[in-house]
Amino acid sequence: MGRKSKKNDSLPGSLDMLILRTLSLRDLHGYGIVQFIQQSSNNELLIEEGSLYPALQRLEVNGWIDGVWGVTSNNRRARIYKITAAGRKQLAVETRKYAKLTLAIAHVMGAE
Amino acid sequence: MLRRLRYWLDSGRRSEALREEMELHLAERVAELQEDGMTPEGARAEARRRFGNVGQKQEESREIWMTRFLAELGQDLRYGCRTMMVNKAFSALAVLSLALGIGANTAIYSLMESILLRSLPVADPESLVVLNWHGQPPPKGGDRRWESVVHGIQGMFWPGNKGSLVSGIFPYPALETLREENPVFSTVFGYFDGHNTTRAVRGEAVSTPTEYVTGEYFRGLSVSPAAGRLIGSEDDRPGAAPAAVISFATSQNRFGGPTNAIGQSILVDNISFTVIGVTPPEFFGVDPAKAPDLYLPLRTVLLLEGARAARQFADENFYWIEMMGRLRPGVSLAQAQAVLAPRFHQWVASTATTDGERANLPALILNPGAAGLGSLRRQFSKPLFVLLAMVGLILAITCANIANLLLARAAARRREMAIRLSLGAGRLRVVRQLLTESVMLASLGGALGVVFAIWGMRTLTFLLSFGQRRNLTLHAELNWSVLGVTAALSVICGLLFGLAPAIQSTRPDVVPALRDGRGGGQRRRAMNVLVVAQIAMSFVMLVAAGLFVRTLNNLHSVQLGYSRENILLFSLNARQAGHRDPEITNFYADLRKRFEAIPGVGSATLSHSSLISAGMAGSPIKGEMKIGAVTIEDAGVLAAGPRFLTTMQIPLLAGREIDERDQRGSPPVAVISEKMARTYFGNENPVGRRIRLVDEKRDLEIVGVSANLRYGGLKEEEESSMTMFVAASQISPERMTYALHTSGDPLRLVKSVREIVWQADSRIPVTNVATQAVEIDKTISRELTFAKLCTGFAVLALLIACVGLYGTMSYTVARQVSEIGIRMALGAQRGSVVWMVLRRVLLMAAAGLAISVPAALFASRLVKSFLFGTQPNDPATLALAGAVLLSAAILAGYVPARRASRIDPLVALRHE
Repeated sequence: MGRKSKKNDSLPGSLDMLILRTLSLRDLHGYGIVQFIQQSSNNELLIEEGSLYPALQRLEVNGWIDGVWGVTSNNRRARIYKITAAGRKQLAVETRKYAKLTLAIAHVMGAE
Repeated sequence: MLRRLRYWLDSGRRSEALREEMELHLAERVAELQEDGMTPEGARAEARRRFGNVGQKQEESREIWMTRFLAELGQDLRYGCRTMMVNKAFSALAVLSLALGIGANTAIYSLMESILLRSLPVADPESLVVLNWHGQPPPKGGDRRWESVVHGIQGMFWPGNKGSLVSGIFPYPALETLREENPVFSTVFGYFDGHNTTRAVRGEAVSTPTEYVTGEYFRGLSVSPAAGRLIGSEDDRPGAAPAAVISFATSQNRFGGPTNAIGQSILVDNISFTVIGVTPPEFFGVDPAKAPDLYLPLRTVLLLEGARAARQFADENFYWIEMMGRLRPGVSLAQAQAVLAPRFHQWVASTATTDGERANLPALILNPGAAGLGSLRRQFSKPLFVLLAMVGLILAITCANIANLLLARAAARRREMAIRLSLGAGRLRVVRQLLTESVMLASLGGALGVVFAIWGMRTLTFLLSFGQRRNLTLHAELNWSVLGVTAALSVICGLLFGLAPAIQSTRPDVVPALRDGRGGGQRRRAMNVLVVAQIAMSFVMLVAAGLFVRTLNNLHSVQLGYSRENILLFSLNARQAGHRDPEITNFYADLRKRFEAIPGVGSATLSHSSLISAGMAGSPIKGEMKIGAVTIEDAGVLAAGPRFLTTMQIPLLAGREIDERDQRGSPPVAVISEKMARTYFGNENPVGRRIRLVDEKRDLEIVGVSANLRYGGLKEEEESSMTMFVAASQISPERMTYALHTSGDPLRLVKSVREIVWQADSRIPVTNVATQAVEIDKTISRELTFAKLCTGFAVLALLIACVGLYGTMSYTVARQVSEIGIRMALGAQRGSVVWMVLRRVLLMAAAGLAISVPAALFASRLVKSFLFGTQPNDPATLALAGAVLLSAAILAGYVPARRASRIDPLVALRHE
């Protein structure tokens, strides 16, 4: 299967941004985040699912997201993450950086 | 940082949560893949594949918060080290003063731990129970008799709650009653302090602390022998072969090891015993205040003390044996109390013969026995709490002082902080770094403090055990509990003195600080508050020290009426070596003559006790004494040998003193003190009058009158009590205390004394060798210790407070250089500049005093029981403490004030 090659390793750190973005739309548990990212990227972005958890820890330690115990849609106990105000600020910072970077790359790639 | 610390603290719970999250993830993935048509096995494998390495991801997650925390900590520590190296003088001062404070606290705490908290070194100490009883104390004033089932005692009482009387001694039949069919105790065992016996091994005699124990004693305590076997029920019955158990230390000192001692024969008070066993090294019996070297079966008291002891076993009204019990598994102390109290009540009621006795029956109370008997705790708990409060204050003053120094230093670092903050460092991050620095200082102080503590513990143990014979059990030591407390104390101190300066110096008003690096009115206010607090605490300590020194002075100025210096005291007990009446009298008399012949001895005498401890030794005369029809009340009786008044330098006012004419067969004589003569004979000459001993059915003829003297301890309240001397040769003596008046240092003669005694009878050990001065000081050892320690503590506190005051004033002056320069340029005199600074010093001192006078008045009432001849609110002491404090404050303030007055206006203004 060609999935491994599509793993998100092109932009280190962008997983954090994707998670923040996802959580800025709604509160989700870990599996939900993975599902959301895959579905909204039309299954182009397939992250190694386990990597999600260190990332979640990192975001929580930095105070950008908050995890609380809740119940999933099919009634199972899970940690539901929500984005904090600091997280939204961070998302804005990362989005800007990302925009700058992609723009720069686009410039390079478009320059003939 | 706090969040990270929290994560770090509950990392266990977090790991668990993480695992659960990951499992849920896998489960949901599996469920979805199955919905898509995969087999369960295939779905599981695929889910795992997509997830990656579960363990590794967990590890990574955990590391995220751990590593950052540790990395930052490392940074802070490195930076802290650099800061400390830059400010060497400051760091050294801070570490040193903290070390003193923490060391003193550690030392006192380790003593408290060893005395108040430590359990007996036996198996399952928690299930041990001490049996006590409480009852009404004898009524004050001698009119009414104390009607009680307690007709005789041999042992201790101590005050309980609400004026009741508590004791641990029982009649032997009570032990037997409680021992049979006891549903709550698995064992009940008794013991009885035999005090000192003379133990001889191969002709070498020593005085040995001895405990008589019942056959269940060692079984009840669950002690296993270091060698041989311990005393059992078979040894404690009439007719059993005399068996003895010795302490581990004794087995090493006298026999060269536990195994060598087994089967050896020893003489105890001249009766032969066989050593059957040795106790383990850590065992010291049930009372931490004592450490018996010899354990004998209870029944052998009959061999050693004869017929008198035989009566004790049957007498239901003679209280002498102490008891402990071990709870059966699952039985609580309260349950045991509920079962045994009625049983004891029933028994004790049967021993009452009159209504008065029935109205005042002892009631049984059970106390936890895990820590053994409480005599040491009763004796030391309050003094230790007082000392702990004092060293606590010292530490508080130290912390305030360092906070002050840090505040001053924060001024110097203000620019540094402002730069860090403006570069975007989080305020918490900076505070954390500053706190790391102060906790580092405190930890270094704590580490050095442990060194001070080891030294302090030795000194304290020495001071507190002053006057007691060896105190094997009172060995304070550094164990994990003590070190843990020290570590916690250091960290708390670091946070305490670091927090305020850290918050102050990271105040977000960055811009003015960057501009000129000055300002800080608030900081100065904080410093002033700290100085005032230090002054207040120092004053409380000064008052305490003043009161204790006054107490000591009062005790030292008590009129003894006899000589304190150049007297050597020592005791001999010939009876324990087998001497009997009437030969023993000659033996003692003969020894006295030999001592008197030692070169350098002016005169020698003997008495049944030293004068200072005569109150404790009991009267050598039993029963009532009458002069005509009048009963003599409250006269202290001392059995004295020839030349007692001469040796003690007590003036003789009339007649003669007791001398060698007074022999066993000659007419019994007495010498009375002036007060006694005045009380019973008015202005008549008492010489030649007679005193009737009602119980002994004989008369004493008064042959002389002595000047008044102090009989018994210094702290006894009645002014110079009446004293009566009887001839030692005319009573039946046990132990005798000799007194030698010497021309030089009394202790130089000890060797000659020992030789003479050895020649006379090698079975008699010379005990209690001391000069009269030391013997007297022993009775006030607590007051001596307190006065010394408190003076030391108060001086230390004052010193630290003065350093704080000096630092603050120097800082203030440095801040005001330009202001003072302008004032001087405008014509201010040097004197007025000095006054300007000193006025502030005095203001702070006055504020400190205003706070602490009420505090000192309140605190000193708590130590009322330690005082003698002075009131807790003694105005002279308060005034003196205030004066000392003010002069110290002025001294500390004068140096910066003088510096301020030397400011050259030109230089100051140019500097601006």
